[in-house]
Amino acid sequence: MSLLADVMIILLNGLQQGAIYVLLAVGLSIILGTLKFVNFAHGALYVIGTYAGLLIALDVSLTSGKLREWGFSTIGLDLGFFAALVFVPIVVFIIGVTMERFLAQSFYDRPDTDQILVTFGIAIVVQELFRVLFGSNSLPFNQPENVLAIGGFGGIPVSGPITLPIIGGFPRWRLWVIAITAVLVGIVYALVEYTDFGLIVRAGTRDAEMVRLLGVKIDRPYLVVFGIGAALAGVAGVVGGPLSVVNPTVGTNILVPAFLTVVIGGIGSITGAVAGGLLIGLVQATLIGLPSVTLGAFTLNFSPWSQVGLYAIAALVLLLRPQGILGSEEVAP
Amino acid sequence: MSDPDATSSDGATVVDDPQAPSLVERLQQFREREATVIGLTAIGVALFPWIFARAPVISDLLLGYQNLAALMLIWAIFAIGFDLLLGYTGLLSFGHAAFWGGSAYVAGIVSLRVSSDPIVMVAAGTIFAVLFAWVLGYLSLRRGGIYFSILTLAFAQMLYYMSAAPLASLTGGENGLTGIDVSPLFGSFHLESELPMLAGELLGTWMYAFVGVITVAAVGIAYRILNSPYGMVFRAIRENEQRAKFVGLNVWRYKLMAFIVSAGFAGIAGSLFTIHGSYVPLQSLFWTESGEIVIMVVLGGTASLFGPILGAGLYLYIENIVSGIQQLQVPFTDIVLINDFGTYWHLLLGLIFVVVIWTAPRGLWGGLSDLRTAVESRLRGEDR
Repeated sequence: MSLLADVMIILLNGLQQGAIYVLLAVGLSIILGTLKFVNFAHGALYVIGTYAGLLIALDVSLTSGKLREWGFSTIGLDLGFFAALVFVPIVVFIIGVTMERFLAQSFYDRPDTDQILVTFGIAIVVQELFRVLFGSNSLPFNQPENVLAIGGFGGIPVSGPITLPIIGGFPRWRLWVIAITAVLVGIVYALVEYTDFGLIVRAGTRDAEMVRLLGVKIDRPYLVVFGIGAALAGVAGVVGGPLSVVNPTVGTNILVPAFLTVVIGGIGSITGAVAGGLLIGLVQATLIGLPSVTLGAFTLNFSPWSQVGLYAIAALVLLLRPQGILGSEEVAP
Repeated sequence: MSDPDATSSDGATVVDDPQAPSLVERLQQFREREATVIGLTAIGVALFPWIFARAPVISDLLLGYQNLAALMLIWAIFAIGFDLLLGYTGLLSFGHAAFWGGSAYVAGIVSLRVSSDPIVMVAAGTIFAVLFAWVLGYLSLRRGGIYFSILTLAFAQMLYYMSAAPLASLTGGENGLTGIDVSPLFGSFHLESELPMLAGELLGTWMYAFVGVITVAAVGIAYRILNSPYGMVFRAIRENEQRAKFVGLNVWRYKLMAFIVSAGFAGIAGSLFTIHGSYVPLQSLFWTESGEIVIMVVLGGTASLFGPILGAGLYLYIENIVSGIQQLQVPFTDIVLINDFGTYWHLLLGLIFVVVIWTAPRGLWGGLSDLRTAVESRLRGEDR
């Protein structure tokens, strides 16, 4: 394989890894930027998305957990992956809206630390609920083979390798993750930048009090923003689920890189979240993909450093540019 | 107090002198004296393992055991230090696992490669935590508020991944650090052996005595810091950082110092954890460990000296003992309320935590002291 092909594969893997972070970070960032609400339960929304996607798309056989003891040896609707991709955002949107109404609203006037603490508590409760119901064992989330297979139409293949120019075989699903992310983030970006709704949201980010004084009811846009952020986390759960195993702790594992993406990109900025996510994803993929270097008797292997590199990059960005790559000084809290 | 009717109603004898402090006030003065605080802590620490693990009826009800008593004290030291930062300075760090786990690893590595003397291990772990906190604090305190929480979280995770893979030859990687030896204290007292005579009945092992002495010292140091002018500045920063700045205080330096001191406590506790368990799990560096200390301190009650200790004890009790309860029954009957009660322990803890944050942000100790104030004002009211 040529050097160019190697570089291309690293780039694509980085894009795919970054895409999951972007989906999570865009949601976190707009919630943090507009509502000034720190949501440590964002990882929990990801977990909800993953499990909901699993249950809608497939029929899962359980190996442990309370649900099995209650007589569900297999559970799931088996509606296929496309149904999951449509319904999960709706479900998680509703959960997000409920969260805003009943949880976040009573914490807007309380200190940041209280917001972090209560959402951290919610994250634990959600994680443990899933652990009790489904057991702590990992469940397999098989990559979907075809979506939209109706009648004679064979559907669009989404799994297996695809042959690309220069590179050769590449997992098809990874390209789909990139595409789905690009479309969704594009929609949210357009919504915030080019609609009246977005205008209110952006104005609220700058000065919520002033917007209220002008007679705009800002509560409803806020509610929707929270819901959209949650729905994006849910989608991240659905598209990210098949790339790794599904267990209750995936949320706590992915929360930290997601927050890092937000901080690197700049709080409240969608383009910043995209830039941050891609940067982190590329750094990670590069360190995994680099061949080991031998210097005399000493062999330097890069892949164990991939996770460390993520944090090192974050530290570097924040030292050089504390407000984030595309963040502006006055919006950041 | 000048009301003559009051003297007759409660039959008090000292009320004629308007300058003399009432019983309640004298009690309060007594309670706030440093010697009292440290003395009571020492008595509490000395009696605790006996009550918890060996007292006739109580320990059977509590299902306590000696080893857990020592572990509770170790976490209590960590919690006291964490509260200096969260409760008194108002900074929420999500990266204290780095100091706890980091010092645990350093103590373990020192024991394996340099000296397995417990005092050397504690010293090495603590020095590491302090120096590391200096660097981390310098980087994380550049931004306030949520940035601080997220940055500490990120840097601690970096240490976790460092020990997981690149430094695996030193740290044992995923398996954790095993085979740690601890030599006898001062060269002659095996930490696992029983103390002689009455002390053996009360405290149990040398291990507990060692941890207990350090706990009392930690309470004393924390009390000193909090009641010094230096500690007052911490509180001033929590109340209003901007005003503290305007008064002319170098807020940044005080925040860094609070961070370092609290990491020092975490370092002592982390090294003791290695000595106690002879094993360092990789998990001790993961960010959920930082979450655990946050839960302990908040449950117990921030901005108090004893709240965090209470919280640490309660958390470990639920984690180690309640989690082992198979069936929850109505007392003295055979009616089973919940089967497999133990499996729900973490869920239960999460729910309690959310409720506490929501309704009583000052935690259990805050609730207790509200109760005490209410009782005291009742007593005072009757005095008058």
